[in-house]
Amino acid sequence: MSLVQIRGLAVSFAGQPALRGIDLDVAPGEALGLVGESGCGKSVTWLAALGLLPGKARVTGSVRLGGMELLGAKAETLEQVRGGRIAMIFQDPASSLNPVHRIGRQITEALSLHQGLSGAPARAEAKRLLDAVGMPDAQRRLDAFPHELSGGQNQRVMIAIALAGRPEVLVADEPTTALDVTIQAQILDLLQGLRREMGMALVLITHDLGVVSETCERVAVMYAGRIVEEAASGQIFAHPAHPYTQGLLGALPPLDGERRPLMAIPGGVPEPWAMPPGCAFAPRCPHARTACLQAVPELADLHISHRAACILAADAPVLA
Amino acid sequence: MSVLLQARDLVRRYRMRRGIFGRAVELRAVDGLSLTLERGRTLGLVGESGCGKSTTGRLVLGLEAPDAGQVQVDGAPMPPIGGRAWRQQRARMQMVFQDPLGALDRRLSIGAQVEEPLIIHGLPAGPARVAELLMEAGLRPDHAQRYPHELSGGQRQRAVLARALATAPELLVCDEPISALDVSIQAQVMNLLMELQARRGMAMLFISHDLRAVRQVSHRIAVMYLGRIVEEGEPDEVLKTPAHPYSRALVSAIPHPGRRGRRILLTGDPPNPADRPSGCAFHPRCAEAVARCRIEAPVLRPRPDGRLVACHLAHAPLLSQVA
Repeated sequence: MSLVQIRGLAVSFAGQPALRGIDLDVAPGEALGLVGESGCGKSVTWLAALGLLPGKARVTGSVRLGGMELLGAKAETLEQVRGGRIAMIFQDPASSLNPVHRIGRQITEALSLHQGLSGAPARAEAKRLLDAVGMPDAQRRLDAFPHELSGGQNQRVMIAIALAGRPEVLVADEPTTALDVTIQAQILDLLQGLRREMGMALVLITHDLGVVSETCERVAVMYAGRIVEEAASGQIFAHPAHPYTQGLLGALPPLDGERRPLMAIPGGVPEPWAMPPGCAFAPRCPHARTACLQAVPELADLHISHRAACILAADAPVLA
Repeated sequence: MSVLLQARDLVRRYRMRRGIFGRAVELRAVDGLSLTLERGRTLGLVGESGCGKSTTGRLVLGLEAPDAGQVQVDGAPMPPIGGRAWRQQRARMQMVFQDPLGALDRRLSIGAQVEEPLIIHGLPAGPARVAELLMEAGLRPDHAQRYPHELSGGQRQRAVLARALATAPELLVCDEPISALDVSIQAQVMNLLMELQARRGMAMLFISHDLRAVRQVSHRIAVMYLGRIVEEGEPDEVLKTPAHPYSRALVSAIPHPGRRGRRILLTGDPPNPADRPSGCAFHPRCAEAVARCRIEAPVLRPRPDGRLVACHLAHAPLLSQVA
């Protein structure tokens, strides 16, 4: 039974499609990685699901949370879902926090919205949350402004605010991209620990396959507005089936072994207004055939819980 | 192997003031750093934000004068900034930045921008030469008529490279050249840099926070922490057996498909360069620090195997003297 069920979700801006129909499920408590390069629609998926896209965006399809439809839901319903049941944190914590308010006030605001707490109990809960996200000297930090904290500490504050509503799903959109490597390791460790403790699902949106491999149980790879491959984390890294996933893994410099040129994917991502008629990856694909240029391949089952949208992957035997 | 550039004991200080009446604080971005760049080889410089890697790049290029120490190119000291000799020197050493869109002029065509250094330095210019440079960087000659906004991120970085190559530099300083690019494009640019080096034999200083990328392109790597090099050696050896506790944490922080075992998690944030800890700058975050680390700053010096390390504990014989 999935907690979030996305079906045929499509988004277009001014007639240019950004998301071309995706199906995605999030089970309670699971860690799902959503991987892809800039512009592939990985963030748009969740902004659309939570009704956070600007009015000019055209959104179709269905996003269900429990049994409730979120697309086209009333504003009051969405306000309760956002932060309350599905919380989201973003890449740049400094621009998500209000620079003129103290940290404590920004956390207690979320607590009053989602738990109806105020005054001393809210402040005590805010301190508890800061402790939970590993903020050193939490009591004193309640009175700090965002500019007095480092990038990693601000991201901890954002996570504390996201936890204030005790969400069932935490969507983390590139949460560590703006941070240094040693701080990235701290934040990933924190997210993993919190997920286990609180039993919430984690959706990690990232361009970094390494980050996903360590944090997530299941991975969906997106390309040009579609999911092209979906599998358990171990399976996708050991036996990537879609040529794009293979390309992404090949483009990652190895940590040992002989140094040879990387297997770079030639060319670039197609522009939304010049999308190829068939498989969007065909123009960059080393295995493309005529059939690839004619029809968009469906996401098909290759193996138990391993799906790929590639006509060649469907033919080739997949190693389990 | 011949030495192209040698930097000795570089120090670069900045003054900053907290508030209008605040006391001026001195910030040492680079604090006693020495490095050697050899012809045709790449030195990778790794470290986190604020550790002084970019300042090092600017000092090496002579874009900034050090407060102490010296940069020598071919054994001759760097001429004073702004002078005639300095301007001639500029043609020999070029820089590639992180953000190609910021490094290009949006109102000039790619061709005009690639030709500009040729004109400035009085080298043979013209469309044919520009086309040659564009092709060398993996672009098509017709890209010369395009404007920066018409190119993709990867193509823009290629245009920046074509422009940097125009004066046939002997040294290329690349400051986070791939951080702003997508994974598949990063691989293209890394491959291109290595091809160009193989063809032209230029030296490179590759500055990055990404150890994977640094290993891929470098012949030697240097790890920086708070204005100093804390470890320097062969890339594979440093990655396999990092000797400095900070390098160990950096290596273990690399996310890696199929990793086994737990990674070393550093506590705390990188310290503020304006408020440098006493002794070894890393000691407040170091799990292995002993009393001596708080008092005495370790010197970067070679171990018997040739690895340079600045850590009291990495030099075993000394440790026994202390005990």
